Amino acid sequence: MNTEDIPLQTLLRQNRPAPALPPRFQQNVWRRIEDAEAPAQPASWLDALANLILRPRFALAAAAVLLLMGVFAGTLEGRQMVRHDAQMNYLASVAPHVLR
Amino acid sequence: MNRSLVILLGALALGAGIFAGSYFTAQRATVMCCAKPADDLGWLQMEFHLGDAEMARIRELHDGYLPKCAEMCAKIAAKKDELAAVLGTSTNLTAEAQTKLNEIAALQAQCQAQMLEHFAAVSQAMPPEQGQRYLAEMKRLTLGTNELMEQSMSDHAGHEHGTN
Repeated sequence: MNTEDIPLQTLLRQNRPAPALPPRFQQNVWRRIEDAEAPAQPASWLDALANLILRPRFALAAAAVLLLMGVFAGTLEGRQMVRHDAQMNYLASVAPHVLR
Repeated sequence: MNRSLVILLGALALGAGIFAGSYFTAQRATVMCCAKPADDLGWLQMEFHLGDAEMARIRELHDGYLPKCAEMCAKIAAKKDELAAVLGTSTNLTAEAQTKLNEIAALQAQCQAQMLEHFAAVSQAMPPEQGQRYLAEMKRLTLGTNELMEQSMSDHAGHEHGTN
């Protein structure tokens, strides 16, 4: 390219038409990018639930809650059983006729 | 089958497994760690939060009561054997059998009175509030059983009368 053409190039660039951008152009571009990156919407509530279950954080939390609930309920029940057995032992020793 | 349904069912089964496993493990562990099957008085200490001094006094009362209770039980058992011998194979209730029945009832009443006296003595060896609770609980457990039996029998009899 010839260096003498530089003024010509500048002139051409200045005369190139620059169409006005439509309103909210930039916002719309970002929205389209976000939509393209977002996962596909589940088809049904069952799919949505399955997706939720498969999330590691949810699965771990649910397992921990179930484990704690099981330990709590089992301990309560165990204590109840111990108490009942001990009560029956005592009753059998002081009032055997009641248990016959 | 639908993939989501399989995931859901699998998660439910896994969740039920986790809950059941932890439930039964905790239950077993609690029973194994806390049960004292050898000690008849374990329940009293556990239920009424008694101290060593109170437990020592109650153990003394308990050990004093047991031979008396065993003696009464032996008397009742012997009288029941006599009744069985008198009844034999006859289908009628003889006067002798009736006497034996009355004697058994008298012995049982005597045994019950002795038992209630023991409960009162034990309750006095506890702090007042716990003593009252113990006495109420023991009455419910020992006398309540008889009352329930009588109640069920009277309900049953009433039902039969109603159908006639």
